Amino acid sequence: MAYLSMGESHRRITDYLNRFADAINYQDGDSLARLFSVSSDSPFLLSLADALNVFQDANRLIKQSEKFSQFGEVVAPFFRSLQSYRLGNLVDAYGAFEKASNAFIQEFRNWESGWALEALYVIAYEIRVLAERADRELASNGKSPEKLKGAGSFLMKVFGVLAGKGPKRVGALYVTCQLFKIYFKLGTVNLCRSVIRSIETARIFDFEEFPTRDKVTYMYYTGRLEVLNENFPAADQKLSYALTHCCLSKEANIRMILKYLIPVKLSIGILPKKQLLENYDLVEYNNIVEALKRGDLRLLRSALQENEDQFLRSGVYLVLEKLELQVYQRLLKKIYIIQKQKDPSKAHQVKLEVIVKALKWLEIEMDLDEVECIVAILIYKNLMKGYFAHKSKVVVLSKQDPFPKLNGKPVAS
Amino acid sequence: MERNNHRRHQRQILPFSSSSSTSSGAASRGDFGAFRESDWRSRKQSTTRNNTQKPKLKLEAEGGEKEDGLSEIPALIGTCPFMCPEGERAQRERLRDLAVFERLHGNPGKTSPSLAVKKFCRTISAKEGQVSDIRPLPVLEETLSYLLTLLDTTNHSFEVLHDFIFDRTRSIRQDLSMQNIANKKAIYMYEEMVKFHIISHLKLRPHSKKSTTSSIHYLNMEQLTKALTSLYNLYDVNHEDSNSVHKNEAEFCSFYVLLHLDSRNQPAGESLALWFRCLPTSIIRSSEMCFARGVLRSFRLGNYKHFLSTIAAEASYLQYCILEPYVNQVRMFALSCINSVGYKLHPYPLTRLSNILIMKESDVELLCNACGLETCMDETGNKLLPTKQTSFTTPKDNQSYPVLGLEQFEREY
Repeated sequence: MAYLSMGESHRRITDYLNRFADAINYQDGDSLARLFSVSSDSPFLLSLADALNVFQDANRLIKQSEKFSQFGEVVAPFFRSLQSYRLGNLVDAYGAFEKASNAFIQEFRNWESGWALEALYVIAYEIRVLAERADRELASNGKSPEKLKGAGSFLMKVFGVLAGKGPKRVGALYVTCQLFKIYFKLGTVNLCRSVIRSIETARIFDFEEFPTRDKVTYMYYTGRLEVLNENFPAADQKLSYALTHCCLSKEANIRMILKYLIPVKLSIGILPKKQLLENYDLVEYNNIVEALKRGDLRLLRSALQENEDQFLRSGVYLVLEKLELQVYQRLLKKIYIIQKQKDPSKAHQVKLEVIVKALKWLEIEMDLDEVECIVAILIYKNLMKGYFAHKSKVVVLSKQDPFPKLNGKPVAS
Repeated sequence: MERNNHRRHQRQILPFSSSSSTSSGAASRGDFGAFRESDWRSRKQSTTRNNTQKPKLKLEAEGGEKEDGLSEIPALIGTCPFMCPEGERAQRERLRDLAVFERLHGNPGKTSPSLAVKKFCRTISAKEGQVSDIRPLPVLEETLSYLLTLLDTTNHSFEVLHDFIFDRTRSIRQDLSMQNIANKKAIYMYEEMVKFHIISHLKLRPHSKKSTTSSIHYLNMEQLTKALTSLYNLYDVNHEDSNSVHKNEAEFCSFYVLLHLDSRNQPAGESLALWFRCLPTSIIRSSEMCFARGVLRSFRLGNYKHFLSTIAAEASYLQYCILEPYVNQVRMFALSCINSVGYKLHPYPLTRLSNILIMKESDVELLCNACGLETCMDETGNKLLPTKQTSFTTPKDNQSYPVLGLEQFEREY
């Protein structure tokens, strides 16, 4: 660090304090927001941090004048946080930041309008990010990472401040999304429920009035929750909403949405174009889509196995595994088409023996009983129309629409 | 450790609860959180298994010293040398509140230290939570092994025995968690208690008439899922590194999958998709888990043939205990499926059903009839199921029929 004089340090600190006081006096939310964004590493805040570490006694400056001292409870811990952050002590930085935020929330609560929402967003974001980094520090010292959980409790309090009636409610969804990020990271997704209930049951506020950015994030996370709860029509609706409202330039976000939307769409019989998978680098789904197109059970199983870890971690494995029925349907349909080319009059009778052979060709050993069972399920679940005659070991397909499409509906359970 | 300094222990009960658990919701648990049966239950939430930030939590009660920020909280160590504290023993003698297994020579007002076992008490106030009433680990181990030997030696009905062991093992878990005992011995004890509840799950399956068994069955399931969740958290805190796995961990994890086959009925409240997200790869690939996942896949696809034949060929006794209720559910699904998609002019032979459903032909007939399906006989005396009957109904009673080849499982204990 270059040498920093006491005078210069003093100047930087009072500069910050003046900006802070002005932002509040003029109700300038954007400027206030910038004054809180520790992790942005803005040159302004970094130089302030250096100044604080030289000057050491910033509290005296705060107390010196009425203009500054009224914000002392916010600014003093904020300075400590910034100092610790600059020195790489993230646990301390988090602790002090939470203290500053807490004091800020007390003030914010009393303001009638929502002019300071931008600043509150920055605080909510910083709380999460600092907590994550503090936890990394704790873990690397062999300690129990607990700050992110603390950040979750703190943001619940912030949510409480916003969730009531009035102009500040528009900010509730941003905080909700930060909470989702925390809960997903911690694996405590069940905690999302109470926040969701509060958002979705509120009659006083129309969901559409929230900022688009927050609506997309919210729908992305709640859509993922529906995937985890195996509620696919709801997952489809939420993730599709996120996709259609997501800004096209945010490619990484679109990719994240598609990662969950594609398996959901596959489960209701809608296949993506190859180009889409390539554009968004979702090649892990290539072979699965291909297996569905070809009726290739072996390919489906090997694609699942190859990406098993990834699919299990993201929670889509079980959805994908269930695609097996649609692959069988496709296989039967192919056999039917081939038979039709040979002899249209007999095409609608498929011998179970032929299916066994086709599977054997795919190196899948299955006896007649199990093939009969698969056929029975396909008919029972309306993926195929017809009946099976067990004596002659033949499936007799309906002449009309023997392989009904799912048309966006899930396979019957 | 100040073993005899009761007052000091009592004061330390509260911090012990909130920070030892490093879990979510500690604050909302109320004052007696420490005495909740499972202190580790929610730990998994904060330390997902594959988390690289895994904390090293060591909760060895014997040492009293806990590492990593927990060192300021000494563990509570019980001093009660008997299966039942003397005070409780005298009181229950006086109130003639003795279970049949506790009565000396059948006298309802007299017991002895080798018969009386501490009862489960829902909430214990700080005053009652004296170390003299809490049994240390060696006594708890003895108590558990005494209770489990009752299973082999008593002439009483299983319901009576279950009622006793159900309550007394619950009290053992309470003593374990009050002392924060989370070592390998605790793992072993939890495994034994989980086994007891799994076996009970089969033995107490609700039959047609007795309505009381169904509520006992429900309560048993509740304790089973609770004990299982605590066991998983114990595995977690005892992992030496992120790749280590305990001896029986894969087997006990497979139970979770088997308990949650039906996505509409999730006893532990967490969907499988969610649960699989944080399972170590070595467990996912274990033979026990491969079995469970194969069973899960065929259950969800409706592949009754594969489901039943896999169970008949590979299920262990404990796995069978959990799967037994599904076995009949799947058999009924198979009947309904075959009935509705079979060719009307080809009645289905019961001998074939007997092979597919892996049950005696006479049992097949009983099951058909219970489902409202008629059976008939051909000219050579073979029994048949005419298909396309419209009278299929799910029977109200839960009569179960043994799986051929697994009859010995029905007789164990």
